[in-house]
Formats: sequence, structure tokens, C-alpha cells
Amino acid sequence: MRTVVDLTRCQGYAQCVFLAPGVFELHGEEGLLYATAVPEDQEDRVRQAAAACPVQAILLGEEVSIGAR
Amino acid sequence: MASETLLARITDYSSRPDPYPLYAELREAGPVVRQADGSYLVGTYHEIAALLHDPRMSVDPRTRGAEAQQLPFLRLDDPEHHRLRTLAMRPFGPPHTPHRVDGMREEIDRITRELLDSLGAGERIDLVDDFAYPLPVTVICRLLGVPREDEPLFRAWSDALVAAADVRPGSDTTETDKAGEQAKMEMGGYLVNLAEQRRGKPSDDMLSAFVNEPDPALRLSREELAETAILLLIAGHETTVNLITNGVLTLLRRPDQLDLLRRRPDLLPRAVEELLRFEPPVHMRERIPRADVDVAGTTLPEGASVVLVLASGNRDPKRFDEPDRFDPTRPDNQHFGFGSGIHLCYGGPLARIEAYSALGALLPRLGTARLVEDPPPYRQNAMLRGPRHLPLHL
Ligand code: HEM
Repeated sequence: MRTVVDLTRCQGYAQCVFLAPGVFELHGEEGLLYATAVPEDQEDRVRQAAAACPVQAILLGEEVSIGAR
Repeated sequence: MASETLLARITDYSSRPDPYPLYAELREAGPVVRQADGSYLVGTYHEIAALLHDPRMSVDPRTRGAEAQQLPFLRLDDPEHHRLRTLAMRPFGPPHTPHRVDGMREEIDRITRELLDSLGAGERIDLVDDFAYPLPVTVICRLLGVPREDEPLFRAWSDALVAAADVRPGSDTTETDKAGEQAKMEMGGYLVNLAEQRRGKPSDDMLSAFVNEPDPALRLSREELAETAILLLIAGHETTVNLITNGVLTLLRRPDQLDLLRRRPDLLPRAVEELLRFEPPVHMRERIPRADVDVAGTTLPEGASVVLVLASGNRDPKRFDEPDRFDPTRPDNQHFGFGSGIHLCYGGPLARIEAYSALGALLPRLGTARLVEDPPPYRQNAMLRGPRHLPLHL
């Protein structure tokens, strides 16, 4: 599974960092870092993070890229 | 005009099982609907979103002339709100403690299992008292470092505080307010005392972290600690219970959706978001304009009480297709279940993990479960709305 965050939508609510701290990381109070290739044991957590994002900025799938929805 | 009595009709106890037709009436009459007592209701999605993000809209009751000495950050505006929320977040979430909530998953699953094991099969249970209430209470106690055995004590305080914070147009609130103040003093004293016992001998809980913070600039004062601990203990156990209970009620009413989730547990995270939209535990929140604020051609006057009906925004057909349909596969579900903007729920990720655990473990058992009563009896509270009991045959 791959994931891409649309950083033009991201508001830094950090719900993804709570739910999948092995994949999403907060740099300072708002900058978001993340791994695009999701390790298999993190897939459930990343699905939760994508569902929970208050601005629905997290895209999931095998072939996501910015601009494709 | 009938629309002037909407808030009174919404908060009337007889509306608790199904307030949604009144919310539809509110949106028809809206976007801004003045009430006979001088307050205002807003029930449409886009207007609620704009007001939740408008820095002129205060949460501080002193903005409408109420007296208050000390307030929790839920009812403070920035910059004070930001300072206290950031300090309270340090031992709980990112960026300082990103693994705390994720690290509670196993323990939450264990508590879920123990509660379910004690239920047995073929029995009549009360989902609220036997499961949906004890789960979040046990979790928030563990998180804060509050003894679980003291539950009868803080349940009484919490009941009094939550009753005082409810929306009650036209009723005399002197007594409830007084009881709320008294409960707040006692509960604050109790929690600060617990924290003090951990000074110098920290254990792995948030009261310990607050009272043992080495940097004086990052330390909460005694009053701030009391307010914050009360807020977390109450928020942690008056809301999640309704999410779990509403979840079970909603699924038992819709065997096709229950079936879908039983076949596709990977949909559970989206189903939980859809529950937060469709049957949210928090139905309304108050805001007070610091200056006259224009919304869609109506002026919200400075100092007025403005009630944002989040649960109505969640059902606005201008924002959600077929809003009255419960659809766990709904795309782009930006609901108001946890609010939005700077006061977005602090504990949302914890509540979600509790709901995944609770509903995930219940799903296999719900196939043969039956509701004993529909609608079930509801709690009095209109703002924090949910069943008081949910009798089931498992
Ligand atoms: C399903 C469960 C929950 C729901 C539906 C819920 C809902 C909400 C909502 C709607 C708000 C926004 C209030 C406003 O804008 O005026 C809020 C704020 C808050 N919630 Fe929750 N909540 C839940 C669980 C929790 C838990 C478990 C905690 C604590 C661990 C918590 C702590 C807070 C706090 C501290 C605030 C104030 C945030 C601020 O003012 O910045 N909540 N919650």
C-alpha cells in the first residue's frame, strides 16, 4: 500500500500522527513528514488515519500520486 | 413564529429519541434563526464551518457577561486556549508524545475483552451499563492515573457538571449552576490531591507527567491543573459511551449495513467516521460573538449566545448526499463529530481507538443480537445526547 498526503489540504490537526505514529511524524508543531511506502504491519493504522483526517487529505492505494483522486 | 421556539423544542426531553426532523426545520428556517430568548441557532453546514473558524467567535462565557474565575481551555479563547491546550497535549500526543495513544491499543483491547467475557451469551444485557460506559471510564482512569474504584465519586461530580453545562432555554438554572460549582470544587480538589501524591514519584500517567514537569515555563498552576484534569476526566467518559452505544443501535437498526461490516471489517474506520456524522455524541456547542458578525445577511450581535447545531450540519443536504442515510462507504466525510478549528476534540484519536476496539469486538456477536426496546430510553442531556440504557438480547 502507498500513501500520499495532499499538503495543500493538510491543516496540521495531526490525527494521523496519533493513529499511525510509525508512518506519520510531526516536525515542530505543524510540518508533516511521512513514508509513502506503507509497511504491511502499518496498513490498518494508515487506513484509520486516512478515515480520521478532518480535511480528508490522505490518499491511499497502490498507485496514488498527487493530483490523482 | 414557530421557528422562534426551535431550541426549546429541540431541548425538550420528548425530542431526544429523534431530534433530526427539528434540525431539518431549523435548516429550512435558517441559516441563522433567532430564538424568543435572544439566542441564535445555526444549523447549516457551511455557516457552522465558517463560524467555527472565525476568530471573532468566542467560547468564553464571560464574553456574554457570565461570571467565571477559572475556566478549562474548552471555554477559553486564544492565546490562553493555545497555551493551555499545548501544555495539556505534551504528555498525551504529538509532537511531544506521539506514541502514548497508539501504545494504549493492546490495553484497550484487553479491557474490551474482559468486559465482553463477563457478559456471556443468550443473556439480556444493558449495553450501556455493562460495556459502553465502563470501557471509556476504565481507559481514561488509566490514562490520567485516577483509581477506577473511585468511579461512584467522580460520576456524581461529572453528572452535576455536565447538567450545568447543558443548553436549557427558559429554565431557571440557579440550582443546577450552584451544584455544578460545588462539584467542580470537590472534583478539582480530589484530582489535584491525586496529582500531589505523585510529585517526586511519577508513574506512567498524565497526572504524574503534569505535576513532575521539570521546566517551570511548561508547568500548569494548581488551578490550571484542576481545570484541565476535570475537563479530561469528564470529556473522556461522557462522550465515548454514546459513540459506542449509538454505533450498536444504528447497526442493529440496519441489518444490511451490519452485514456489510461483518464481511468487510476493513470498513470499520470509515463506519466510525460515518457514525460521528450520523449519530454524533455532541449535538451542539455555544459560541459568543466578540463583535457583530454577519452571516448570510443576518447579524449575530456582540455578546449573544449562538448555538451551533453540529448534528444538524452533519445532516445538511447542501453538504452531504442523502444525509439521512447511514453509509460507511461515504466519500469525503468531513463531519463535525469532533468539531472543527482550534477547539477540534483533543481526545478524538483515543475515542476512535476505543470505538474500533469496542465495535470490532462486538461485530461478531451482533448477528444474532436483538434490541429489546426501540427507541431506547435517553439521557436528559440535549447537548451530549445518547441512550441511558440499551437493553439487548445477545
Ligand atoms: C466520541 C467521543 C468524543 C466526542 C464525540 C467528542 C467531541 C468533542 C467536540 C465536538 C469538541 C469541540 C467542542 C467545541 O468546539 O466547543 C471536543 C473538544 C474536546 N474534547 Fe472531545 N470528544 C470525544 C472524546 C474525547 C476524549 C476521549 C477526550 C479526552 C481524552 C476529549 C477531550 C476533549 C477536550 C479536552 C476538548 C476541548 C478542546 C479545545 O477546546 O481545544 N474528548 N470534543
